Amino acid sequence: MSTVKATSPLSPASRPHRRVKPVTIASFIALVITTFLMLLPLFFMVSTSLKSKREMLKFPPTFLPESWAWSNYTEIFDTLQFGTLYKNSLIIAVLSVFGTLLSSAFVAYGFARYRGRGNSFWFILLLSTMMLPYPAIMIPQFVLFSKMQWIDTFLPLIVPAFFGSAYNIFLLRQFFSTLPEELFDAGRIDGCGELRMWRTIALPLSAPALATVAIFAFIYSWNDLLTPVLYLSSSEKFTLPVGMASLTSSRFRIPPWHLLMVASVLAMVPIVTLFAIAQKQFVEGIVLTGIK
Amino acid sequence: MNKSMKSKRPAVALITALTVMAALSGCSGGKSAGNVAAGNSGAGGNGGSGEQVTISHYTIDSEDRAFIEKLIPDFEKQHPGIKVKVEKAPYEQFDSKLQTLIAGGNSPDVTSHYGYGGFAEYYNKGMLLDLTDLIKEDGFKAEDYHIPGNLMNIYTVNGHTYGIPVNMYVTLMLYNKDMFDAAGVAYPPSDYEDKSWTFDQMVEDAKKLTNVSDDIAKTQYGVDFTWAERDMRPLYFGAEPYSADTWTNGGVPSETYFDSPEVIAAYQKLFDLVFKDKVSPTSEWSKSVAGQNGDPFVAGKIGMSIGGSWNLAGANDFPFKIGVAAVPWGGNEQVRSTLFVDPLLILKDSKHPKEAFEWIKYLLTTEIQEKSIELSGGNPPVNTEAAEAYYKHFDGIDPADVKKVYEGAVKYGYESYNHLITNYSQINDMFINELQPVETGHKTLEEVMPVIQKKVTEIIAR
Repeated sequence: MSTVKATSPLSPASRPHRRVKPVTIASFIALVITTFLMLLPLFFMVSTSLKSKREMLKFPPTFLPESWAWSNYTEIFDTLQFGTLYKNSLIIAVLSVFGTLLSSAFVAYGFARYRGRGNSFWFILLLSTMMLPYPAIMIPQFVLFSKMQWIDTFLPLIVPAFFGSAYNIFLLRQFFSTLPEELFDAGRIDGCGELRMWRTIALPLSAPALATVAIFAFIYSWNDLLTPVLYLSSSEKFTLPVGMASLTSSRFRIPPWHLLMVASVLAMVPIVTLFAIAQKQFVEGIVLTGIK
Repeated sequence: MNKSMKSKRPAVALITALTVMAALSGCSGGKSAGNVAAGNSGAGGNGGSGEQVTISHYTIDSEDRAFIEKLIPDFEKQHPGIKVKVEKAPYEQFDSKLQTLIAGGNSPDVTSHYGYGGFAEYYNKGMLLDLTDLIKEDGFKAEDYHIPGNLMNIYTVNGHTYGIPVNMYVTLMLYNKDMFDAAGVAYPPSDYEDKSWTFDQMVEDAKKLTNVSDDIAKTQYGVDFTWAERDMRPLYFGAEPYSADTWTNGGVPSETYFDSPEVIAAYQKLFDLVFKDKVSPTSEWSKSVAGQNGDPFVAGKIGMSIGGSWNLAGANDFPFKIGVAAVPWGGNEQVRSTLFVDPLLILKDSKHPKEAFEWIKYLLTTEIQEKSIELSGGNPPVNTEAAEAYYKHFDGIDPADVKKVYEGAVKYGYESYNHLITNYSQINDMFINELQPVETGHKTLEEVMPVIQKKVTEIIAR
């Protein structure tokens, strides 16, 4: 917060009125340097993605590629079935986001709006599931899905999202409970049913929180490696992280880091896009849910 | 009441959504041919010749392992009753997926110890099928597939065979020809019988190649002797850290001698390369120079590098000329090279061991072993007839040198401990952690080895 304040005097509107303090300049420079440092790995990712295999092995490493190997960006589609992996990851991520939003918002609404017996008991029980590490439920869950004949399908990666997740339910519950009761009273007077109030009052007012949940769910599903590894066995169903892990899987070869960087650059695109679209809502969501 | 009535509707909506989902994702995957759930369609049918049987081969998802997928169509043509399905996982997740598959009743039929765990670990966990009867029934003979008899012994415990070798990696020396030329040093010999090629001679050569400068970009070292697994290294100087009964006892040594003076002296000789003779880089230097490639030799900063023959596979991409040489003689008449012989294993829960064995035999034939060298990008075959093709596989390296190095390694080679000792992944992790301060020069071997001795004993007792 303090940094935001410190830079504001530099805005054109305030410049004539106030003298710029040395502290402000110093913090501005510090910010520029930090930004540069933060962007450096990203820069190297893009730079390496454009190097040839030979150049990638060089020491000291070159800053910019000596010869720009744009062909890396087409090569990745041949070596990895990159298009298929990308499509699979997108299908799974989009459906997971949809499922998470639907189920978590629904359950959270219940927890936020209804007072019943054992209400807090169930809520605490729900929250306590957050403490279970995935490896603890990995094998039982695998046995369950294997009995249901779901192995080597996307179902084990998508369906659980439709059953809510403690963290997202908690996040949304906190948000829903801040909505003024009067809105719902008004709805009730107009003859609105509970489901309709959920859909037409609660959900639209919670756009920031929903955007936050959507981004979290998307990133989680997009980056998930272990679950796809466990449940998928045919290469044409693999997801992006599995394919990328396979590039570094050989203990006997020098990993093709240049291709891995190409894959990383391309894998970043949906997340950057999603963030750009949802940025306003997202930042607002963090601020609001953080304060309340 | 009213509320409970209402709450049923979203439940219906949810179920509908789920059904749609199920249909959707079913579609996206439905095109593949080998879509049989986990490969156990013919329930119980073990040998019925008319019945279609699916076996699964579990391997690592990398080009040098997953190439077997390309061998399947021909196999299926020759064996109409058997379908093969390949299941894959990245290296890091190999072990956890295997354990989950077995626990979940979806055990693959064929695999190898490609993850962190080794043969002895699988054996002691009771995961492996005893192949002795299958071999007898089938009339399988190692000679028919040109597999040297001593390699078959590696995976035979108390007269029972549990694995059949498929690939054989050896330890060899790679050297940077450009660097030797620049320093005017003669190339090291590839012949294991050349008795002048000793550890001390190697140190002499390495001194001429070493050039330590303030500029990290100009610094180069003579030799990198990070040879085999850490607990394996004393053997090279004739010091044995595990008691002899380990190999008759299913990988469980009754005693270990990591704090014995011989073992400590052996380690000392290797660390002297770094700290006394200063012809080898410290681990920190290696890391900073090699980055994520993990090997400063590849960056052209090391003259000689002792390592696995898998390093050869990348040789065609190195930005300098390389040669292969014998591992110098270190004082042990028998052991100069570490062998890493990968077996094919049939798991105990396999429902179709006979068909799995057919597949294994297919992978061992000369024709397929030759084909595999090309498809994998240079995996060394166990089949000595196919090995001739392997020796010729590397650009710019004399096939005669590769052959000599391989034959010498088999003669003076010893199967790596990581396949032969129980709980090995834990032993290995412990070794890496405990030796770290010695590698960075912060502790002495005398301080560290008794701790290692104690921890090894604990891990083996688990």
